[in-house]
Amino acid sequence: MNEEELKALNVDKSVDARGTACPGPLLAAKKAIAEISSGQIMEVLSADEGTRKDIPKWAAKKGHEYLGTAEDSGYFKIYMKKG
Amino acid sequence: MEDNKKMCLALFSGCLDKLTAAGVILSGAAADDMDVDIYVLLQAARAFKKEIATNKDEIKLAENSHLRDEFINSLDKLNVKEWHEFFKEAKELTNVKIHICGLAGKIWGGEKLEDFIDLADDIVGIGEYITAAEEADIHLFI
Repeated sequence: MNEEELKALNVDKSVDARGTACPGPLLAAKKAIAEISSGQIMEVLSADEGTRKDIPKWAAKKGHEYLGTAEDSGYFKIYMKKG
Repeated sequence: MEDNKKMCLALFSGCLDKLTAAGVILSGAAADDMDVDIYVLLQAARAFKKEIATNKDEIKLAENSHLRDEFINSLDKLNVKEWHEFFKEAKELTNVKIHICGLAGKIWGGEKLEDFIDLADDIVGIGEYITAAEEADIHLFI
């Protein structure tokens, strides 16, 4: 998905992990995805560069669908659909 | 559901930097739903004692000891948890068992499980560690 498509998504769960460094965002993502149902969409806000590759790989491994990453000023949003 | 992957961690170090690294790795394992067995060996067993664990003054750095204040201040600024909090959170998220080495416990005056922080599950002998290491998908020594 491109950035416009990502930003137009109806997000079911938004996790703001900008206040934490690795492994904070990953753990925040793990906890939050347990709170939504299969097929629902979650975004993770992070300013931690390591997270950029980490969370998509983790999502794929756990059977979720990584949808893409959108940039914002000073942080980025990682989108995924729960598997 | 298929069996979770297993990690076995031989935690020897009682130093703040290495304990923090172990905590970060443990978080990764927790995010992956791994089953983790931690064997708390010699120096680490001291850090797991109740009166030591939360007392940073009692715990040194393994490397760059002259930069201790900088290290601790940076962790604070980056909102990084204290080492034992990583262990606590991982236990809440996945199946983590913390085993204290019986010999190590005795060396530091810890005869009973109550002498260690509540996160500790039991006091064991080295045989259990060898078995866990044999069975693990990932085996680390820190």
